Amino acid sequence: MKTEDLIDALAAGLEPAKPARPSPALLGAAAAAAVAAVALLLGVRPDLAQALQGPIPWLKGIYTAALAGTGIWLATRLGRPGVDPRPAAFALLAVVAVAVLWGLIEMSLTPPEQRMADWLGRTWTICGRNIVLVSAFAAPLVFLSARRLAPTRPTTAGLALGLATGGIAATAYGLLHCGEATAAFVATWYTLGVAAAGLIGAAVGRFALRW
Amino acid sequence: MGCCVVDKEAELKRLMLRGLDGDPAAWRALLTEMRGALTPFFKRRLTGCEADAEDLVQDCLIAIHAKRATYDRSLPFTAWAYAIARYKLIDHFRRQGRRHDVPLEEASVLLADHTVEDGVVRRDLKKVLSILPLRQRRLIEDVRVGGFSLAEAAQRNGFTEGAAKVSVHRSMKTLVASVNPNED
Repeated sequence: MKTEDLIDALAAGLEPAKPARPSPALLGAAAAAAVAAVALLLGVRPDLAQALQGPIPWLKGIYTAALAGTGIWLATRLGRPGVDPRPAAFALLAVVAVAVLWGLIEMSLTPPEQRMADWLGRTWTICGRNIVLVSAFAAPLVFLSARRLAPTRPTTAGLALGLATGGIAATAYGLLHCGEATAAFVATWYTLGVAAAGLIGAAVGRFALRW
Repeated sequence: MGCCVVDKEAELKRLMLRGLDGDPAAWRALLTEMRGALTPFFKRRLTGCEADAEDLVQDCLIAIHAKRATYDRSLPFTAWAYAIARYKLIDHFRRQGRRHDVPLEEASVLLADHTVEDGVVRRDLKKVLSILPLRQRRLIEDVRVGGFSLAEAAQRNGFTEGAAKVSVHRSMKTLVASVNPNED
């Protein structure tokens, strides 16, 4: 095709364009998929109604939802050519830093003989695995939500979407299933689970996010 | 020289914003301008396989069209277009299985030599202007090349309007004398 003809064809069918952003409907569907995966594969904790009266599940949820939010923000900035992604990357790191700091302060106030038990909880060996498992069900929808964007660094954008997916999965997991209650536990094992989801997202994004 | 790029940026951005609002004529003009900028951009970076440049230009024009919604209206158009062109170039090398480093340059290289003739004229202009002191030179570039009004250019360069008028007048005299040394 000659370039003149191409330009004519593109201009002829032009429609007004609104700023591209990850589709909120698909992100909502991803959250629903994460909830369904927790409920069907892992089961809802039996004391859910009672647990949700206290602050702990909500504090965990605020942390992991903030990871999801900053991850989506980062993916959005990476998905707009020429936009500096660093503000979103710093925000994401700041969220992690707050959680780690909280965990450290909590540990310093815990009697030394109690520290190890608090840090490892009862589920440290399966926490990260469960978050990755739930992420697998939410990930296709999260990646699909970003298809209107144009990431010029597909691997990094995949990392951001993977972290966002991990954040969504960890939120559903922390609210509905997991009974762990210390900040040190969440700051370590939840963060590692979300990071693992991010790394898988980076590997996928390298191929799936090319345009 | 710098001000020409600034000018071009303003024009392209205006076309881009109208295109985003659905104006086909502006969009056609923008794609045509971008074709003119992208062709030398890719040719210079594809030494040995310049024949691929045309395909890459078309690929890039399609990307500019299909991904136009990713442009942030508050940011320079050139930065957006450059990022797309660079991405398409890297992708091209990758598909060929070549490891090829594409250095990150200033986005304005996309507009640097818009056409060959333009480039030659600018080089000449730069040479001629280089005989002027820097402050005078900036002023005259703004007024005579950059398309600023005398008042705007004076303010940009820290002159009063009256002083700017005198400076431009003197500079023009010096420049004319330098180009026509025999004329009295």
